[in-house]
Amino acid sequence: MTEGVPGSAAGALSVPGTRSRRRALWGLLLGVALAFAILFSPIIGSVAFDPWLVLRIVFSGGGALFAPCTAGTVSCHIAKVIVWQERVPEVLLAVIAGAALGISGGTLQGIFRNPLADPYLLGISTGGTLGASLVFVYGIGETDANLVLPLFAFLGCTATGGVILLAARGRYGSVETLLLTGVALNALLSSILTIVLLYNPIASLQVDFWLLGGLGSATWQVDGVAFGVILAVGAILAIHGRELNLMQLGNDVAQSAGVDVRRVRERLLLLTALATGTAVAFTGIIGFVGLAAPHVVRRLSSSNYRTVLPGAAIAGAALLLCARDVALWWLPLTPLPIGIFTSAGGAPFFLYLLYRRRRATTMGGL
Amino acid sequence: MSTPDRVAPAVSVEHLTVRFDTRVALHDVSLEVRPGEFVALAGPNGSGKTSLLRVLLGFLPPDEGSASLFGTPVSDLSVRERARRVAWVPQEELVRDDIPIFEYVLYGRYSRLEPFGGESDEDRDIAMQVLTDVGLADRAEDGILSISGGERQRATLARALAQDSPILLLDEPTSHLDIGHQLDLLDRVRRLSHSRNVTVIAAMHDLNLAARYADRIFVLSRGRAYVDGPPTAVLSEDLLGRVWGVAADLRKDPRSGTPYLVPHHLIGQPRPSGIPPEWGPVHVVGGGGAASRYLRALTDQGFRLTTGALHLLDSDTEAAEALGIPAAVEVPFAPLGDEVRAAHRRLLAAARAIVVTPFLVGPSNVANLEDLAPFVRTTPTFLLTRPPGVAWDFTGGRATDLEGQLRREGGRTVPGLELLLGALGSVLETAPNRGSDSASTAAG
Repeated sequence: MTEGVPGSAAGALSVPGTRSRRRALWGLLLGVALAFAILFSPIIGSVAFDPWLVLRIVFSGGGALFAPCTAGTVSCHIAKVIVWQERVPEVLLAVIAGAALGISGGTLQGIFRNPLADPYLLGISTGGTLGASLVFVYGIGETDANLVLPLFAFLGCTATGGVILLAARGRYGSVETLLLTGVALNALLSSILTIVLLYNPIASLQVDFWLLGGLGSATWQVDGVAFGVILAVGAILAIHGRELNLMQLGNDVAQSAGVDVRRVRERLLLLTALATGTAVAFTGIIGFVGLAAPHVVRRLSSSNYRTVLPGAAIAGAALLLCARDVALWWLPLTPLPIGIFTSAGGAPFFLYLLYRRRRATTMGGL
Repeated sequence: MSTPDRVAPAVSVEHLTVRFDTRVALHDVSLEVRPGEFVALAGPNGSGKTSLLRVLLGFLPPDEGSASLFGTPVSDLSVRERARRVAWVPQEELVRDDIPIFEYVLYGRYSRLEPFGGESDEDRDIAMQVLTDVGLADRAEDGILSISGGERQRATLARALAQDSPILLLDEPTSHLDIGHQLDLLDRVRRLSHSRNVTVIAAMHDLNLAARYADRIFVLSRGRAYVDGPPTAVLSEDLLGRVWGVAADLRKDPRSGTPYLVPHHLIGQPRPSGIPPEWGPVHVVGGGGAASRYLRALTDQGFRLTTGALHLLDSDTEAAEALGIPAAVEVPFAPLGDEVRAAHRRLLAAARAIVVTPFLVGPSNVANLEDLAPFVRTTPTFLLTRPPGVAWDFTGGRATDLEGQLRREGGRTVPGLELLLGALGSVLETAPNRGSDSASTAAG
């Protein structure tokens, strides 16, 4: 059950010769590495199990395909529950959320022609935080927090995205208008958030922790919902590489070449709001993945958005999964927020990529 | 729109008006372009060239009137349909990612792709073909940022050509290129326009390039159509003066026969150091090209001038003509005749100051110095220093004697243009006004 972003590894590439082969090779390598990472990641966790046992549980589909526990011991059954009901969903959620953040970041960098754009650029995350904080402050649906919190966060994100799109609509609607609308709305939401939390110190702590992001909410149910949304949204995003390629040459050029820039932009923004909202809903606000994943693809492979978009999904998934594994491997008993590890681990790698091939060629020099 | 016996025009603009709030960008402009024609849009900055192109691209909606492509109004076409009819080459494309040139050109096929289909072999062949047409086939796999500005503009042209649209719009496509690349690009555009029957409309700053390459020049001035026709009919000194406010000479390229304009200076600019008209005229004596520089500089400063006595075909005569300076003129190579000398003396008599430029003196024009003699005592006269070591007296010493005499009788020697301007200023400010307009009549 790997992340389903279509056309990722061996997508149709235009120039015959070494370039496309290298690109396909990188795609294949990344895909295989990710598949292996997904299979082996459940070995890592708070409790140490025999790696073979874990692999047997994973390959048996939690016991659905064949019995992993030959002796039928108690410890084996505990392992089965922990691995299949906790770790595997957690791993898959990391992959799904990472892919969502990666492809959203790539899309937004393309729309805004800005290498510093990330999924939270327009302040969507502030809306999500406000939604989540309402749950903490007013204790809405405490009995069923597993569903209510994500729902409120998701609604906060998508509502913010929708408002920005509607507000920036108009005859002269440009990316600058969009950005500034986002900045203004972000400021407004931040001030509301501050007021709400100022009088609720306990909720404030909960929000702070939630903000750092985590995979704790993962269940098969959560994964199913997230996977469904991200697969659909990601698939539509991933086929917009050609439009984004042309939009890099300027909106006028894109328009003259046949891209309905305004419509494509609105469609893509809405889709990234959905993808980001879904990721935020279940994992909180995990930084850096959405910013770095597209650049990893550009550095390793190509700046062509037909490669960048699916590639960023794979790279984002790999990045978040690595962060999860490192976090649990290093400090198995103190589950630190995963956001700390994406930044702490991703930043040096990102810098390495930047300086390894320092040419003023990609994305305006970045 | 089209009658059965006639092909629909590729581009048809009728009574087009476009406003930006209160400013009128285009006013009642009509233009019809036949398929395969190369039309240059000319006009000063802000005359509406770019606005007209943007209307044809569907970026700007007309406020009044209409714009059609092959009989269909631009506004009735979807973005994709529009792209299949019109391709666009901007002044300079913002390329930020170092993508291979071939991929970049392939982007141009976008409007030809099936909604969910990829590029076919045919699309790749077309991309390769246009790359060959613009001379970049061997660079197909190089990064777009690794090539020069001139080559990049050719790549942009290829990207637009890959669109396979029957109309190509170019917005000052050569303004960032050196002269060699300007010619190269326009050469290719014209050849491709002929070989593929592509209609080309190009906004162009350079009227001379427009005249050289376009079948037709359409001149806009302040948003209105000013003149429209083949280069030979459109280019004139009057055009440059009225539309651009620039004085120019019209010449003909001896090789191609195409007209070209040599611009001289701005007309009608109020001068901050304005010289009052009653300070003139100043008479400039020259010949053999010695006076041209001073005629231009003094005109620039606002002095009213006369000049003489010159010969036809002399570059000083051409300069005087171009600057609108009255001159006494003799036929080429002949000694100055009595009539011309009389005219020259009238100009000298009317002058409030006389400038003697370091002209070469021979038997045919030594009379200039002879005629000057009586005026030196009454009119402030400035003799510019001759460059040392350059032979100038071809009259066996007579000219040297005459100049010496002029100096003795009050002619002042000035070493250069700046001191001349200063001296003229101080003399004219105080000298009594002769107040005669006989200068112009004397020139007759």
